[in-house]
Amino acid sequence: MLPNHRFPRLPYALIALGVICLLAGSYFGLFVAPPEHYMGEVQRIMYVHVPTAWNALLALTFAFICAVISLFKDDLKWDARLEASTEVGVLLGFLLCCQGAIWAKPTWGVWWDWDPRLTTTAVLVAAFAGVLALRHFVDDPVKRATWSAVAAIIASVDVPIVYYSVRWWNSLHQMQSSPATVSSQFYLPLRLNAFGILFLMTGFIMLRARIASQRIATELAPPPADLVGELA
Amino acid sequence: MTGGYITGGWAFVWAAYGWTAFVLAAYGFSLFARLRKPR
Repeated sequence: MLPNHRFPRLPYALIALGVICLLAGSYFGLFVAPPEHYMGEVQRIMYVHVPTAWNALLALTFAFICAVISLFKDDLKWDARLEASTEVGVLLGFLLCCQGAIWAKPTWGVWWDWDPRLTTTAVLVAAFAGVLALRHFVDDPVKRATWSAVAAIIASVDVPIVYYSVRWWNSLHQMQSSPATVSSQFYLPLRLNAFGILFLMTGFIMLRARIASQRIATELAPPPADLVGELA
Repeated sequence: MTGGYITGGWAFVWAAYGWTAFVLAAYGFSLFARLRKPR
């Protein structure tokens, strides 16, 4: 059974809300929040980088949940959701690496470093990109759902490793911040952009799942009668 | 960088925000295009 889209306009509303939050958050981040003491203006990159990181990990965690449910339930809508959340998670992960590189150049002096956090993030993006590649090689929708769910579960092992890498190993990347360690002047742009990317990501996943479910429905549909006649 | 403090850097800030906006907008448009594509 595939999704029947009870709320066809919801993803568009979420995307519009996400864009509004992102515009407001970026305005506060670029023009209202003060520069950070040591990093100066460059710290403003954190207002997009950190929300992208949170939501990339959230999208890939949702992909893990879809993969587990897909294995236990005979319902291909979870496979469509797995495909959607994996693609959006890979997109956000790629964006995260780009933003991190742009921030790293003026602060660390290099675009990239094989530091534990960066390396585990690159592995995570590559692993989930591999899940998307695997889906292109399997024509049977049922086999594709099973194989990609197993591959996504294996790839998901890296999600907590990415999160805890800065605590487990001696990393150049800074530790996670909390409201106790962040000045209140930095809250607003960070939170607005976090909700902005969350709404945008949810809208994107819903639309992408719709595309995937339409394709799966086409694959499962019986061949047209005239084609059957020609083959017979 | 001067004495442990980073000065300037607005070009990097605009690059990060601009690239983020471009990638998200391009992906959004690609979704609309794929949804409108007849099957």
